[in-house]
Amino acid sequence: MAALTDNPAVSADAVESIVSAYREPAWLADERRAALRAYSDQPFPTEKTEEWRYTQLKRFSFSGLELAKAPKDESVPERIRMRIADSDAEGVIVHKGNKVVMHQATIKEAGVVFTDLRTALRDHEALVRAHLYDVVNARQTKYTALNSALWENGTFVYVPRDVEVELPLGAFTTADSGGIGLGRTLIVVEVNARLTFIDEYTSEPFAERLFFDAATEIVLKDGAKLRYVSLQNWSRNVAHINKLRAHLGRDARLESVTVSLGADAARAEVESRLEGPGSESEMLGLYFADEGQHFNQFTLQHHATPRGFSDVLFKGAVRDASQAVYSGMIIVDPHAQKTDAYQTNRNLLLDEVAEVVSIPQLEIAANDVKCSHGSTTGPVPEDQRFYLMSRGLRPEVAEHVLVTGFLYEVMSRVTLPKVAEYVERVVQAKLGVPGVKEKL
Amino acid sequence: MSDKQLEIRGLRARIVGGEEILKGVDLVVPRGEVHALMGPNGSGKSTLAKVIAGDPQYEITAGDIVLEGQSILEMEPDERAREGLYLAFQYPVEVPGVSIANFLRLALNARREEGDEIGVMEFYKKLQRAVKELNWDDSIIERNLHEGFSGGEKKRSEILQLLVLEPRYAILDETDSGLDVDALKVVSQGVNAARGPNFGALVITHYQRLLNHIVPDRVHVMVNGRIVREGPKELAMELDQKGYEWIREAVGA
Ligand SMILES: Nc1ncnc2c1ncn2[C@@H]1O[C@H](COP(=O)(O)OP(=O)(O)OP(=O)(O)O)[C@@H](O)[C@H]1O
Ligand SMILES: [Mg+2]
Repeated sequence: MAALTDNPAVSADAVESIVSAYREPAWLADERRAALRAYSDQPFPTEKTEEWRYTQLKRFSFSGLELAKAPKDESVPERIRMRIADSDAEGVIVHKGNKVVMHQATIKEAGVVFTDLRTALRDHEALVRAHLYDVVNARQTKYTALNSALWENGTFVYVPRDVEVELPLGAFTTADSGGIGLGRTLIVVEVNARLTFIDEYTSEPFAERLFFDAATEIVLKDGAKLRYVSLQNWSRNVAHINKLRAHLGRDARLESVTVSLGADAARAEVESRLEGPGSESEMLGLYFADEGQHFNQFTLQHHATPRGFSDVLFKGAVRDASQAVYSGMIIVDPHAQKTDAYQTNRNLLLDEVAEVVSIPQLEIAANDVKCSHGSTTGPVPEDQRFYLMSRGLRPEVAEHVLVTGFLYEVMSRVTLPKVAEYVERVVQAKLGVPGVKEKL
Repeated sequence: MSDKQLEIRGLRARIVGGEEILKGVDLVVPRGEVHALMGPNGSGKSTLAKVIAGDPQYEITAGDIVLEGQSILEMEPDERAREGLYLAFQYPVEVPGVSIANFLRLALNARREEGDEIGVMEFYKKLQRAVKELNWDDSIIERNLHEGFSGGEKKRSEILQLLVLEPRYAILDETDSGLDVDALKVVSQGVNAARGPNFGALVITHYQRLLNHIVPDRVHVMVNGRIVREGPKELAMELDQKGYEWIREAVGA
C-alpha cells in the first residue's frame, strides 16, 4: 500500500473557488490550474526514491484532510502576543488559518512593502507577478505543487534597490484547527538592499491534526543581503513540511537559520541556487527531536556560477524514540569554477533508542573548486560529562550544558539575540532542566 | 583515629572489563594537611585521582574510599563533589559553549538548595577575588570552558575553580606541568591560600620545584599501582636527586 493516497479535497473545484472568492487575476488563475495539473501528474513520493528515502512519509500524509479554512477564533492567541513581545522582529504579521489576524509595522525606510500576499496582489500586483513561483513552484515536488495550486494567503516583503531595512521583520503563523494548512512567504530583496526576516510557526495544541505545507521563496538580486530565520515550534498535533529556497544574484549574500523543535514530524528542504558570481550562501540548521519526533532535513547548495561560496552547518540532538534525518547535496555545475562549498552535519545521540541518518553528498562537475563535506553522529563525550559532574553538576544539568554546548557552534552564529535565547529556552524545557519552562 | 580525613583502603581498580591498574592502594590524607603523591609515569597516580572522583571508566574490585568516615564508593561523581571532593585534572577537557562564569555558577548552585541560588553580585565578587588571586585578567571568566586555552591556562583554570568551589579535599594532578615559572608561583599561591585546617590536599607531581612552593606534610610514592614508600618532605628531594630506580630495587617492583 502506498503511504500516501489522493485526496478529493485537492481538486479543480477547490482551485476555482479560491480564484473566484478572491477575484484573482487571470495570470494567477492560470498558474494555479497549471499547478494543479502538475500536482496530478506527479506520483506521490515513496520511500523508494532517493529524495524521500528515510522520510517517514506516512507522517506527512494529508489524505482524508480538508483544506484548512477560517480559524475557530480570530483573536491573536496569548502565545503569539508573548512571542511578539519577546521577538527581535519590530514589524509583524500574524497568520491564523487563512486569516491575517494582526499586522503592525511602521517601516521608516521608503518603498518597502511588508504585507500579506492578498493585500500585495491588490496593491502591488506587478511586483508579485514578477516574482511569484519563480523560486518555489509546482514543478518541484508533490508538496510544492499542492501549495502552488491552493495557497490562500501568505507574506510578501519587497525591499527596493539600495534600501537597508534596519529593524527585523517577521511573520508568525499559527492555527487553532486542523486540516491542510498552506503558507507562503515571498521575499524580494532588490539590488544592494538589505533585510532581516523571521518566519515563526507555533501553536497551542488543539484536537485535530494539521498538515502544514509551507513554501518560502527568496529572491536576492545583485548585492542584496538577507538574514532569514525559520523557527518551527508547532504543537505536537502538527506535521510540517517546508521548501525554503533562495536564488542569489551577483555578490548577493544569504544567511539563513532553520530551527526545528516542535511538531510531530517536520521536513525542511533548504536550498540555495547561486546564480551570480561572488554570491554567498550560509545555511545553518538546528534541531532537537524528542518523544518520538521525526525531523527530516534536506539541504541543497547549487553552484550555477563561478566564484560562489556556500556553507551548510546543521547540528541537532535526538533522544527518546526520535529520529533525525539529514541529507545534503552540493551540486557544482561544469562552468562554476572557483567554487567554495562546505557542508557539515553533526548529531548528538542522547540515548540508545534515538536514531540518526546522515547522508552528505557531492556532485561536482567543475575541476577548480574547494569542497568538503563531513558528518558525525555520536553520544555525549563521556569525559566531558565526567568533568562537569566532578564539579558537582547533577546529571541532568550536565546533560543540558553538553547539549547547549554542542548546539553552541550554530547558536553563536545566530546573530539575532532573542531568537537565540528563545531557542535555548525551548531546548532547556525539552531537556527538563529544573526551573525552566518553555515560557512560550 | 580521626574521622577528619580522606582514606584509601586496599583499593584495587581496573579499566571497566580490562586490566587492573590499582593493585591495593593505602593512603590517608588528614584534613588540614597537604600530601604529595609521586611516582614514575604510568604507575597509576592519575587513575587513583580519577577513581577517587568517581570516573565511570574504571571499576573498583576491592577496598574502599572513605571521606570523613563515610564510604563514597556508591556515590556518583557529582555527589562526591558536593561532599567536598575536588579533582584538578591532569588533562582538563574542553567544553564548548559554556563560559567559565556560567559553569561555576551552576557548580556553586548545585551545592545549594533550590530557591537559594547564589546572588549575582555575591557570585561575581567571589569569582573576581579568585581571578585576582591568580593574577588573571577578568575577561577570562567570559571565555568558554577551556576552549582554545593553552596548556598552562587550563591548569590555572583548575585552580580558579578550586578557589571558587572551596572543597574540603582537593587532588591536584600534575597542575604544575605546563606552567611557566611565574605561573607556577601564582598557582602555588592559589593552593597555599586555600590551605588551612579545613582543607586537605593530595598533590601529584614529578617535580621538587612545585614542592618548594607548596611544601608537603607527607610524601607518598606509587610504583606499579601500589604505595611503596611514605615519608616526610625530604623523601621528595631524595627522589628528585636519585630518581625512582633505587625505590624499585628496594621494593622489588
Ligand atoms: N582508560 C584507560 N585506558 C587504557 N589504559 C589506561 C587507562 N587509564 C589508565 N591506563 C593505563 O594505566 C596505567 C596508569 O596510568 P596513569 O595515567 O594512572 O599513570 P600516571 O601515574 O598518572 O602516569 P603519568 O605520571 O605519566 O601521568 C598506564 O599504563 C595507562 O596507560
Ligand atoms: Mg598522570
